Amino acid sequence: MRIKVYKLIVLALVLFIAAIAPKAWASSAASSEYEVKAAFLYNFIKFVDWPGEETADSSEPISIAIIGKDPFGKAFKPIEDKLIKDRKVVVERFKGLEELEKSGAKDKSEQHPQIDAIRKCHLLFICRSEEEKLEETINLVKGHSVLTVADTEGFLESGGIINFLIEKKKVRFEISVAAAKDAKLKVRSQLLRLAKRIVGEKQSDEAKN
Amino acid sequence: MSILQNMAIRHKLILIIMLVCVTGLVLAGVIFISWESSVFRNNMVQNVSTQAEMIAENCKASLAFQDAEDAKETLQALRVESSIVFGAVYTKERKVFATYYRDYAEMKVHPLEFQESGFSFDEGFLSVFRPIVLDGEVIGTVCLRSDLSPMYQMLKRNIGIIIAVLFLSSLAAFLMSSRLQKVISEPILSLAKVAKVVSEEKDYSTRAVKRGNDEVGLLIDAINEMMEQIQRRDTELVDAKEKLEVRVEERTEELTTANKQLTQEIAVRERVEESLRKTEEKYRIQFEGALDAIFVADAETGIIIDCNPAAMKLVGREKSELIGQHQRILHPPDKIDGGFSKTYKEHFKTKQGQTLETQIITKKGEIKDVAVKASLLEVGGKKVMQGIFRDITIRKKAELRQAQLLEQLENANNELKDFAYVVSHDLKAPLRGIKTLADWISTDYADKLDESGKEQLDLLVSRVGRMHNLIDGILQYSRVGRVREEQLDVNLNELASEVIDMVSLPENITIEVESSLPTIKCERTRIMQVFQNLLSNAVKYMDKPQGHIKIGCVEEKGFWKFSIADNGPGIEEKFFEKIFQMFQTLSPRDEFESTGIGLTVVKKIVEMYGGKIWLESKLGEGSTFFFTLSEKEMGVKNENLKTSFIS
Repeated sequence: MRIKVYKLIVLALVLFIAAIAPKAWASSAASSEYEVKAAFLYNFIKFVDWPGEETADSSEPISIAIIGKDPFGKAFKPIEDKLIKDRKVVVERFKGLEELEKSGAKDKSEQHPQIDAIRKCHLLFICRSEEEKLEETINLVKGHSVLTVADTEGFLESGGIINFLIEKKKVRFEISVAAAKDAKLKVRSQLLRLAKRIVGEKQSDEAKN
Repeated sequence: MSILQNMAIRHKLILIIMLVCVTGLVLAGVIFISWESSVFRNNMVQNVSTQAEMIAENCKASLAFQDAEDAKETLQALRVESSIVFGAVYTKERKVFATYYRDYAEMKVHPLEFQESGFSFDEGFLSVFRPIVLDGEVIGTVCLRSDLSPMYQMLKRNIGIIIAVLFLSSLAAFLMSSRLQKVISEPILSLAKVAKVVSEEKDYSTRAVKRGNDEVGLLIDAINEMMEQIQRRDTELVDAKEKLEVRVEERTEELTTANKQLTQEIAVRERVEESLRKTEEKYRIQFEGALDAIFVADAETGIIIDCNPAAMKLVGREKSELIGQHQRILHPPDKIDGGFSKTYKEHFKTKQGQTLETQIITKKGEIKDVAVKASLLEVGGKKVMQGIFRDITIRKKAELRQAQLLEQLENANNELKDFAYVVSHDLKAPLRGIKTLADWISTDYADKLDESGKEQLDLLVSRVGRMHNLIDGILQYSRVGRVREEQLDVNLNELASEVIDMVSLPENITIEVESSLPTIKCERTRIMQVFQNLLSNAVKYMDKPQGHIKIGCVEEKGFWKFSIADNGPGIEEKFFEKIFQMFQTLSPRDEFESTGIGLTVVKKIVEMYGGKIWLESKLGEGSTFFFTLSEKEMGVKNENLKTSFIS
């Protein structure tokens, strides 16, 4: 009798866990993707060298700009206080280019304070919401040392530097060396080695399979 | 150590060299091996650490971007290093991120617990942990494990080499030392040989050969020097020995003589001891057989040591009851309380050897009088008292009785004396009355009485006269010794002539004083009585027609012997004693008027002066009365006597 009761309890527990677990997983899977991506953004900064970085004022924070509809939610929360290269990291969120154009001067001028801020940031993540204005957004920061990152297909072809992709349920990325070179950014070989696809550099392509 | 000491020098040297060699080599080998192994370890740690650091550097990105494949690939680079059998990357959450196993090592090696950094040697592996640091933040750890067996193999090989070297060099050392030891041992051995020859053959002329000027050379020199000295001494010793033999002989002779003397002395001593023993035996026999009781006691403590059978009999105790007891048990308690012991000791001090009278008590409580003669002896170095006791109870009783009797006698005598005096004195008065009355009758009634009446009255008067004389005699006798007169120096020559005058001498009798008489100190009247009585007796009883009476005196030892001799009738010898008794006369009263008291009085007087009276007589030829007077008691200056005699 006892064994039966015990078995029943175990069964009930198993059922309960089975009922709850998928939900939890589903939500964590969704959020965890962007958590990973957020962590990756941080790590990208570590493996990329900005021009004049050695002499820069350490009190000036490294800024991450997110343009478009922010999918990260609270994903930056756990890493917010961390220092990168002994500097603070600031995450700034900007509205999509469309809205910016709407709100600010339309004449492509650089007078718009928001765009100025975007150009001064170190890393610019372009959300999927900006897929249509992708090239424009990339062009916005052309000529500035801004590491552009996105998780949109064909981002590299549009002139972006790093693009996230999912492979075997794991977050991976691809890099455009040429774009980086254009932005005067130096991407370290260690990072390059991990890239699933490298655009603009033959050797790296061959190394990967 | 003693084993080492007893070894031959040769072996000792070889052994020492070998020991030093081997010790040095072993020490060197051990130090070398340990140093090498430590260097090897350090190198290995360094090496593996470098590897781990490289891996850590290369894995940074892989870890940062969670690319385990890439990390695994990075780890594959370890293939180059054959000794590293395991590699792993851990995330900072301590989870294994990527692993690497060499060949089949997966079977044996398991991933270790997470550790940030450090290294350890265990299970035959060197494990090294290195942190993976990205931008100052530890994001994981690399762990490498290296197989130590190559190191051990190398160590083994090295040890083998060292052992081989050790063996070879020992062999070389042995060979060399067994040749080279001769440099040291040979001179010593030769020296030893010399010493052996010397000690076995006593040949002190042997000399050791010197080979060099080192310490052994010096030793050889010294020994040769010593041998020379010994040789010299040896000769001296032989000489001395000969002298000694002579001396020994002399000494032996002396000893023999001494021995003889000693034997004689012993013989003498034995004789002395024998005599002593005999003396002792004699003493013992005397002691045991003595009629007197003998007690021997310790002079210090007073404990009885010995006693003889007579002693046991005296006190009625067994020997065992006496020996060990204090001598005070011999005496009645009152004697002890009265300080007997004290007086006894005093007695020893002052009167040793004299007789002391005391009392003893027997076992039954009977008290006996004893005479004790005590003396202090020394027996075997110990002072003892010897007391000889004689039972004088009987004598004491006799003495007591004698004293009592004497007293009784004295009393009786005194009474008698008084009685005699009183009687004679009181009887005289009525007698005088009777005589006066008789005289009156014969005078007043002379005419009225007839012849027979007158005759009877005369008889009465004469009888009363005799009675009067008798009483006078008794009175005189009783006076002797009772009434004392003054003691005077009396010249007997004068006294004799006075007495002769008093005695009415008939014509036919002559009295002659033959020799000079001495002057004596006495009561004059008494001595006069003596001479008067004796002379008057001689005159009274003279029966010869020509009577000769001689008075003489001879000085003998301590006394004068007076003699009064006559040529009268003589006295029968049987009456020699009787005549001195009171009221005894030899002839009838009527024939010679005599009281029978005279000689008794004489005897009493003479004896009172300590003299004696006796007589010699021959019937019909005469008698000589002798009496003596002590010079000691009565003597006066004889000088005077002589001078008076000469003048």
